[in-house]
Amino acid sequence: MAVHCTLGEAMIYTLARTIEDKTLVFHGFGSPLVQLAMHVAKRTHAPDMVLVAGATYGLNPRPPFLTPTSNDWVLDRSAEACLDIEELFDLGASGRIGRMFLSGLQIDRFGNANVTRLGRDSLDTKLPGGGGGCNLSCDVERITLWTTAHRSMPDRNGKRRYRIVEQCDFVTSLGHHGVDGRTRTQLAHRGKGPQWLVTELGLFDFDASGHLRLCALYPDTTLDQVAESTGFPLVVADKLGTLPLPGAEVIAIIRALDPLGVHVKELQLPDRARRFSDAVFMNTLNTSDAIQ
Amino acid sequence: MSSIYPASDKRVGLDELVSHVKDGDWLAMGGGLSSREPMAAIRALIRAGRKGLKVVGSAHGIDIDLLCGAGAVAHTAESYVGFEQDFGMAPNYRRACESGAIEVADSCCYTVVQQLRAAAYGVPFLPVRSMRGTSFEAMHPEYLPMTCPFTGDELLLVPALQPDVALIHAQYGDAHGNLRIEGPPVADILSARASKKVIATVERIVTNDELQKLGGANVPYFYVAAITEVAMGAHPTACYPFYAYDRPHTARYYEAAKAGADAFRTQYLVPYVLDCADQAAYLARIGGETTQARLASWNEGTEAWQQLYAEVA
Repeated sequence: MAVHCTLGEAMIYTLARTIEDKTLVFHGFGSPLVQLAMHVAKRTHAPDMVLVAGATYGLNPRPPFLTPTSNDWVLDRSAEACLDIEELFDLGASGRIGRMFLSGLQIDRFGNANVTRLGRDSLDTKLPGGGGGCNLSCDVERITLWTTAHRSMPDRNGKRRYRIVEQCDFVTSLGHHGVDGRTRTQLAHRGKGPQWLVTELGLFDFDASGHLRLCALYPDTTLDQVAESTGFPLVVADKLGTLPLPGAEVIAIIRALDPLGVHVKELQLPDRARRFSDAVFMNTLNTSDAIQ
Repeated sequence: MSSIYPASDKRVGLDELVSHVKDGDWLAMGGGLSSREPMAAIRALIRAGRKGLKVVGSAHGIDIDLLCGAGAVAHTAESYVGFEQDFGMAPNYRRACESGAIEVADSCCYTVVQQLRAAAYGVPFLPVRSMRGTSFEAMHPEYLPMTCPFTGDELLLVPALQPDVALIHAQYGDAHGNLRIEGPPVADILSARASKKVIATVERIVTNDELQKLGGANVPYFYVAAITEVAMGAHPTACYPFYAYDRPHTARYYEAAKAGADAFRTQYLVPYVLDCADQAAYLARIGGETTQARLASWNEGTEAWQQLYAEVA
C-alpha cells in the first residue's frame, strides 16, 4: 500500500489545526514543526491569521525554503512588514497575540514547561533557556504545547526519565498552576494558558481543573504506549479519538516549504521512520475529530 | 548616568576597540542565534584575555558559547543560549553553568526588554505583568511584586539594567560612528540606547552621504564610542547581504565543543582564536576567498542559497 504521509507531517497538521483564523500567531525559534504548521494554517484554513515569524519578526513572510536556524533572511522573504523585539513582546503584554507555541524538556500535568534547568534545588543540567516563553506563556491568549520526545524508554536499570512529568524541576513557562500554589485564574494573567499538547504519541487537552487529558491517538499509537511514557496516571477523555491525517494539499505545502527536511531533525530517530499508508488515511477520514 | 560620544572620527583598530571592555563589565551582545553576532570582536576580546564578563541578551548561540569556552564569562542573564534544534544545547555554556564557573541568572526576553528600557528611559525599574507564578521569581529575588495604585493589577517590578558596553556588528557605519543595521535588529538598537557605550564593528565604513543613500543610520553616532571596519566580522554567523551563515564551520565548532573542554581548546580555541593574531589570519584559517565566495553565493538564487544549508555527506 502506498505511503500517504510521515509522522512529522501528521504532527505539523495537528499543530496547524490548533490555529484559528483572524488571530495573531507567533512561533519562537528552534521549532520547524511549528513554523511549518503556521504556514500550513495560513495557506489553508486560516488565510487571515497574522503570521509573525520567530527570530526575524517578519509579518506574513513567504520563505522559499526552511533553514536550519531561525534568524536567517530566508525566513522573512516577502514579509509585509517587520517588527523588532520590543514591539513583538509589547503585542503580548497588551493582549494582541492570539496563540503561541511552547515546548519543554519537561512538561508537567498542569502544562507548566521547563527549559531552564534539570534539578529542583540545584542545577544538575543546564538547559538552553526559554527565550521569551516565560513572558508569553502568561500574556498570550492561548498556548499550544508540543514535544517530539514524549516516548520514554527505560534505561539499563529499568528507570525511565519522563518528558511529560508530574512536576517540573523549574517552571520556565506557566501552565495552569503556578509554583506559588496559585491557579492561573488567581494569578490573573492575560492569557488563558495551554489549550493543547501535541506529542508524537497523541493529543492532549486540559480538563476543568487544568490537568492534561489525553483526547486522541495517532493511528499507530496505543493508550498503553502513552501511559507507560507519561510520568503520572493518565486522565483520558470519555471519547478517545484518532488524529486525522493531512490531505494531499497540506502534504504538498509542507514538502514544498521544507525541501531540506529541516523539520525531520526535530523528531527522535525512531519517529523519523514512521509512515502512514493511504489505507490508514482513508480510515481516519471517518473518525471523530478531537479538535473542533 | 549615560554619556554621549561626540568625537568626529572614532575609527580604531580591532584591539583598541575591544579595550573599551573591562574585566567584569556587563556586556550586551548584538545580533542573535546564527545572525550578525560580533564574532571578530569576541575573538579579539578573548585574545586580550578579558575575564569575568556578565552577559545579558535575548537569544544567542556561538557568541556566548565561545566566550564561555574561553573562560571569559562569570555571570549570565541570557534568556537562551543554544544552537536550536539543528545542533542542540551550547556545550561550553552548559559546562560553565554546571561547573559553577558562571553564576546562572537566566532571564526572559520581555524582562530583558523592560530592564534595558528602564536604563534607556532613565528610570530605576519597569513593571511586567508576566512571570508571576513561575520559578523566575525565586531565581531573581530582586524582582518585586507591586499592586498597581491605579487599577489594583498585580505587577512585577524589574530593575533597570544598564550594560557597560553594547557590542554590535552592523553592515555599515561611518567614521563618526553612525550605524546602519539591515534586516532584523534583534535587541541591538534597544541595547545601544540602554548601554553606557556602544562599540561597533561593521562590514564597511562608508561616508555619511553613502550611509544616507543606503537608507540612513538606525543607531545615531553619539551612542558609539569606537568603530572598526572588519569584513566578515560576524563569521560564522550571517551578515546579509554580504554573507550567509556558515553552517559547516559551525558544525565543526560544535563537534569540538561537544568533545569536551580540552578538545575544544586544541581543536577550535587555539587554531581559530588564539593563534590568529588578527582577522586576516582568521580569514586565511577558515579558507580565505573560497569560503567568502561560497557564503556570498546565497545571492545567486534560491537553489544556491539552499545549497549552503544542505547536509554535508
